[in-house]
Amino acid sequence: MRSFLNPLFALMLAAVLAACSSTPAEDDSSATTAPEPTDTSPVTPVEPAEPVKPDTSSIPLTADNFYNHPSNYDGTTDSRVIYFAFDSNTVPAAAFETLRAHATYLKNNSNAKVRLEGHADERGTREYNVALSERRSQAVEKFLRVQGVSSSQIEVVSYGEEKPAASGHSEMDWAKNRRVEINYTAGTP
Amino acid sequence: MKLMKHRSIQAVMVMLAMLWAGSASAELLIRVTEGRVDAVPIAVVPFAGAQGAPEDVSQIVEADLHRSGQFKPLPAEDMLSRPSNESEMIYRDFRVLGMEYVVTGSMKALESGGYEVKYALFDVSRQVKLLEESYRPPASQLRDVAHAISDRIYEQLTGIPGAFSTKILYVTYNRNDGKNPYQLQYADADGHRVTTILRSKEPIMSPTWSPDGRKVAYVSFENKGLPSIYVHELATTQRERVSSFKGINGAPDWSPDGQKLALTLSRDGNPEIYMLDLNTKALTRLTQHYGIDTEPRWLPDGKSLVFTSSRSGGPQIYKLNINDKSVRRVSFQGAYNARSDVTPDGRYLVYVHRRNGSFNVGVQDLQRGTFNIVTRTDMDESPSVAPNGSMVIYGTQDGGTGVLQAVSIDGRVKVELPSKEGEVREPAWSPFL
Repeated sequence: MRSFLNPLFALMLAAVLAACSSTPAEDDSSATTAPEPTDTSPVTPVEPAEPVKPDTSSIPLTADNFYNHPSNYDGTTDSRVIYFAFDSNTVPAAAFETLRAHATYLKNNSNAKVRLEGHADERGTREYNVALSERRSQAVEKFLRVQGVSSSQIEVVSYGEEKPAASGHSEMDWAKNRRVEINYTAGTP
Repeated sequence: MKLMKHRSIQAVMVMLAMLWAGSASAELLIRVTEGRVDAVPIAVVPFAGAQGAPEDVSQIVEADLHRSGQFKPLPAEDMLSRPSNESEMIYRDFRVLGMEYVVTGSMKALESGGYEVKYALFDVSRQVKLLEESYRPPASQLRDVAHAISDRIYEQLTGIPGAFSTKILYVTYNRNDGKNPYQLQYADADGHRVTTILRSKEPIMSPTWSPDGRKVAYVSFENKGLPSIYVHELATTQRERVSSFKGINGAPDWSPDGQKLALTLSRDGNPEIYMLDLNTKALTRLTQHYGIDTEPRWLPDGKSLVFTSSRSGGPQIYKLNINDKSVRRVSFQGAYNARSDVTPDGRYLVYVHRRNGSFNVGVQDLQRGTFNIVTRTDMDESPSVAPNGSMVIYGTQDGGTGVLQAVSIDGRVKVELPSKEGEVREPAWSPFL
């Protein structure tokens, strides 16, 4: 049941977020100060409290599915890296539970602060990649804000391709480098 | 160039060359991988009196001319005679070897500790002397004199000012240096005399020269991992943080008059092009679009910029009129064109173009509307045009390591600058100094 419902919900939310993130943010007042009215909790599936690790052994990890692979996210605040598909700033469905855990923690601990560090793979020009990685950080920021996290608890930094997590040059290295790192600067869980 | 010589050395030369250095101790070897088939045969005769001098001027001149790809120097062991001045010149000895030009010269140590360097350039078929000059540099400026001579010869023979006396600014990255993996350095255009400007644990990006060559601007993440733009005076090492807004502070580029910086800021939530007056610190927003706008580059007229924008989907090059802020698309081939530079005459745009998943340097002729890909490497980025418009230096990868390469605007000459240690990236060619 869980494994069926969750992805469905995830897809819906992904669609909503994608629409959100492509909305022009020209007027920053509307983009950053208006509280997001949507509370997604009504559609959160009712689940047993005991976390059930999905069996991911049957899904081979590839460069193509890396960003959305369940093995990259444990659904708790222990997961601190969100990955992205090539040329995409859409938050992957597999990361939703993890991000909701961070959001819950931040809401319950108003002293806690996170820095969202956006990164790109090495392909393309450096400054353009800085801009692309900012979109990824902003997508994660938007997700947390939608969950009710205060903007004062979130800082966004964009490094482009300057701080790769993997130093190689394969598709898999690139998949590991297209990411947003959630770094707690105060009140680390 | 404050050399003691008879004429102003300003000008000169053209092309190329380069070299690089992964660190101050690791200068790189330059290899011409493709020269012109019509490269001009020239004999640079070893200068008399060079033994014992700290620099061999004739060797530096020969290497400069060779790296331009436009000249094919004669090996010294093939020379039939070794004249050091006009009176010793036997044209026949060089004509039979197919030489078109001959450079002779001498070096003499002076009591002051400096040197007297004389050289002459001869046309073999017409049997005439084309140039004859002398310099009296301190020993520490022998390399400057050698590059100045290369500049003079190059200009005399090609009609284009030489760029051998210029510098290259670049970023190095050495992952094994846990303390300061990122460094900002500059070196002579032939890769010698490396100077480190800044060492940092955090990334350094997008270095660029002021139009007078006395300052550089760059992005540094040294302040709590956040990006700031600095203006740094090379002679004094004094620097000023000129931009540290919330969000992106990136892609600085100096206006031709040296008074302003174009830059990218996302302080309003989205990357836009701004103009910062360095005297008044007044900030003017130039673009207004929800797409990505970044990588501004001034055009020589000082009234317009080119920049990269995703407003049509993928990145493309656009031209912006600073006066009325009107924007017009310039690049149309392919789905990815970014990070442009402009030749000094404003005729050619040089930028990164993606084709079949490969990133190459492309040259767009704004007069004729043609577009050519001039590199065959992959993962090319950060093209920077020499001040005489002849060559483009750019960053690429060789065996998974960042290296610099240079290519002529017409793609006919290619020069490799392999790095020995660490990565070298984001080269910026200086103006004439």
